[in-house]
Amino acid sequence: MSGLPIAEIPVIETERLVLRPHREADLDDWIAFYASDRAAHVGGFQDRDQVWRGLVAGLGHWMLRGYGMWAVEEKATGLLCGRVGPHCPIDWPEPEIGWLLLERAEGRGIALEAALAARRFAYGTLGWTTTISLIAAANMRSIALAERLGARPDGVFVHGRYGEMPIYRHPSPSEVAA
Amino acid sequence: MTVSFTIPTIETERLVLRAPAEADYAAWLAFNETDRTAFVGGRASPNTVWRGLATYLGHWALRGYGMWAVDLKETGEFCGNVGPWCPQGWPEPEIGWTLTGNAEGKGIAREAALASRAYAYGTLGWTTAISLIDPQNVRSIALAQRLGAWWDGDFVHDEYGTMGVWRHPGPDALEEAAS
Repeated sequence: MSGLPIAEIPVIETERLVLRPHREADLDDWIAFYASDRAAHVGGFQDRDQVWRGLVAGLGHWMLRGYGMWAVEEKATGLLCGRVGPHCPIDWPEPEIGWLLLERAEGRGIALEAALAARRFAYGTLGWTTTISLIAAANMRSIALAERLGARPDGVFVHGRYGEMPIYRHPSPSEVAA
Repeated sequence: MTVSFTIPTIETERLVLRAPAEADYAAWLAFNETDRTAFVGGRASPNTVWRGLATYLGHWALRGYGMWAVDLKETGEFCGNVGPWCPQGWPEPEIGWTLTGNAEGKGIAREAALASRAYAYGTLGWTTAISLIDPQNVRSIALAQRLGAWWDGDFVHDEYGTMGVWRHPGPDALEEAAS
């Protein structure tokens, strides 16, 4: 019996956060998220089985693409804050930096810190030359974050299930470095 | 620091059980166009098929076991997925199988399922195992019976409806039968 690693998921530390692979222990926080109003901008309510499959598919995304979304954990408390990372399921128009934030992470710049780390990884380690974020038009907090990241509106993508998703285009690697 | 996820490769007489891969996607889509999906949740969109593949892989990462892709050694032909499997919402861990049409009638499914069960009892240390099978899926029920499994009640899944629970002989019973 043999077997090679099929995914190496890096663990990334920032000042206040650890970006690490999803775990089963994160499930209850995500079930609460998808049962709350916060799910409205990301496809709506999901039951326990759907939430589990979403986490598992998130791990599988790493194996299929070589990148994916991390769980965002706050160093000081060990609490889950959300998920963030380079993301491109088969029905996406191009690779994006995605994020989902739990309520406890609001208002402290945690999403910004996590998204910056994810974009650095995409531009540095993955060598991306451009990236977007797809954000529901009514998701004002998420749009505000995209703007703080320097992203600008760049058209609209129409998804088969989620409908119209405005595209926010991030500054390029050279613009970010300048 | 990185976290590594590994999926073992297993060889049997005629088969290789290996990690599911993006290359299987075309075969899945073809399978998806056949009536064989009737017993495993029905036809799915390409998006759902891709997510299904991601789910197979992620299940390994989260549980430490999961479904393999099954190739014929001789031709390299992909003939389905088999393996220990326990997604959220399952009543207990099962030995699952989904075979494409080209594996019918050659004992391929049985060979793959036996290897999976041996792995579950040996490497994973399971003391019992079931297979969940649609009551109309006569071929799959016949396979369960050839594996020595017996009907052990029904399980009603929120999404998939009623599934028969087929209980496999445990590791001790198999050892006794072999000696």
